[in-house]
Amino acid sequence: MLDTLTPTYTARFDENSQELSLIGSMRPQHEADMAKCLQVLEQSLRLVRGTLYINVKRLVRVNNIAFRILAAALVNAATERPDLKIKIITSSVVGWSTKKFGVLSAVNANLIIEEYDNEFYPGQTFVENSDFIHVLRTQTKMTWRHERSILPRHGLKPGMKVADICSGIGDFAVLMQKEFNPSRIVALDHSKSSLAYARGVAEEFGISGIEYVYGDASEMLLEDNQFDFVTCRHALQVFDRPELILKELFRICKPGGRVYVTNEKNSHCLGEPHGESIQWTYTEVAKLWHHFNMDIECGPKSRRLLQDSGFDKIQMESFMVTNLDGDPQDFADIIESWKNLFAGDMAKQRGDSPEFIERFKRGFDDHIFAALHPKGYAGWPIWVASGRKPL
Amino acid sequence: MNSRAEPSEKTNFALLLQFDMQIDGFSSNWAYCDRLSSFVARMIGHNRTDSLLYSNLFSSAFNELLETAFRIHAPGSDFVCRIWRKGPTDRIELTIPCDTELSAFYKDAVDTLGESNLAERYHSALFSDGPLQPSIGLMELAVDYKARLSIAAAGDRAIQLVAELSLEDVNQ
Repeated sequence: MLDTLTPTYTARFDENSQELSLIGSMRPQHEADMAKCLQVLEQSLRLVRGTLYINVKRLVRVNNIAFRILAAALVNAATERPDLKIKIITSSVVGWSTKKFGVLSAVNANLIIEEYDNEFYPGQTFVENSDFIHVLRTQTKMTWRHERSILPRHGLKPGMKVADICSGIGDFAVLMQKEFNPSRIVALDHSKSSLAYARGVAEEFGISGIEYVYGDASEMLLEDNQFDFVTCRHALQVFDRPELILKELFRICKPGGRVYVTNEKNSHCLGEPHGESIQWTYTEVAKLWHHFNMDIECGPKSRRLLQDSGFDKIQMESFMVTNLDGDPQDFADIIESWKNLFAGDMAKQRGDSPEFIERFKRGFDDHIFAALHPKGYAGWPIWVASGRKPL
Repeated sequence: MNSRAEPSEKTNFALLLQFDMQIDGFSSNWAYCDRLSSFVARMIGHNRTDSLLYSNLFSSAFNELLETAFRIHAPGSDFVCRIWRKGPTDRIELTIPCDTELSAFYKDAVDTLGESNLAERYHSALFSDGPLQPSIGLMELAVDYKARLSIAAAGDRAIQLVAELSLEDVNQ
């Protein structure tokens, strides 16, 4: 055991967002140990107007000594500054914090508790419905034919500690466990319904040993330097600030370990016959995603993203899922679901005209036609990139 | 002595972990509360539905018990910590060296956990001036974590403090 309590916490105030972030563990023995926190709070109070945000989403541990000091300071602030609202942003990922901080609202109505969880990702609501789950499984089945042999090239070996971040319905984690027998595997996702599905599948098929964890990939509670191999598939492209996720993937990866990401460039989806119609529609898909702050063209940018996040020894390759990978109907099913999603809810939410939507749908139908045609060819390209966390 | 028991019979609980140490060693460094609670939480949380969430909750609850024992104990004897499990319930047993006066503190503290105004008293303790109430951690366990607490004598000069926690239910 260490002789001192380290690390403890950081208290940081961002004047632009009027946000005081408290991060880490606050379990002091003495009230005086909270002096630094109180000092930053006082400084923050001098600078803010309107609303002060206290971000405790990553304040993982607080004992009663720390809480009493913090609570008293916040109550005093709310009393002395009736012009000010103090919003305390908690996270259900931490478990205890909403209940613990929730008592403050009863003491002063200007102390407001907000639990942050929803809206982690702009595309979340589009892909959480149960119809899409079948498609996600089919997608993984088709990409696994390629990734099964690609993963070892990027450093995945049996016996490693592995994390699959943004694990969705968990099927990729199951496949990795079966094929590579990791010594530990954590599957983290921000969708409770996806995790519930994953746990159900694991139970139904007698799969044990996968830790399914709820969390925000951009602010994970997993500890630093834990994993030999971290995967994050098709996720950077649905997040408006992928660098935040990469920073976290870097953090939880061991020095010398590797982070493996896959992303698409949807405008490069292709097919024959009707190549032009298909290309038009997928170019429009990219614009549609951009409208919702998602970059479905992210694939080839993965190298730069990894470099900018501090990784070295970057490897990159691409593969094409096609109608010739197994049953062409599987490929057609994926495109059909894309059509329903992109030309359905998403196009409607953007306010597209019926004429546009009709043309938009036609490209998907042509892609399906190409996939099922005995002489046709249809493809969906994916870029794989991995980088090493420097030693 | 057996106070406000009613935690379930220990039958069928499986022992997961046991730590034996000298109370003087344990109480020589406050950081041991954090280290021990975090380590145990990580060890026993891995096969819960959400390992990370469970570990956070367990560590928070267990740490309050350890901090209470750190503050309230008699010197010069063994401090024993056992963690048991039966289904969704984890049972923490702390054997804490105590003289008569300290035993009475634990007995009184646990006795009052059954009172109807417990939540009110706990919240009042959180916002009170002056020194920290030494029983605040036990109150928090009962109020926020729905822990079932009890104590029993453990020989002449120690008590056994028991907390049973079903944290996955609490989080629902």
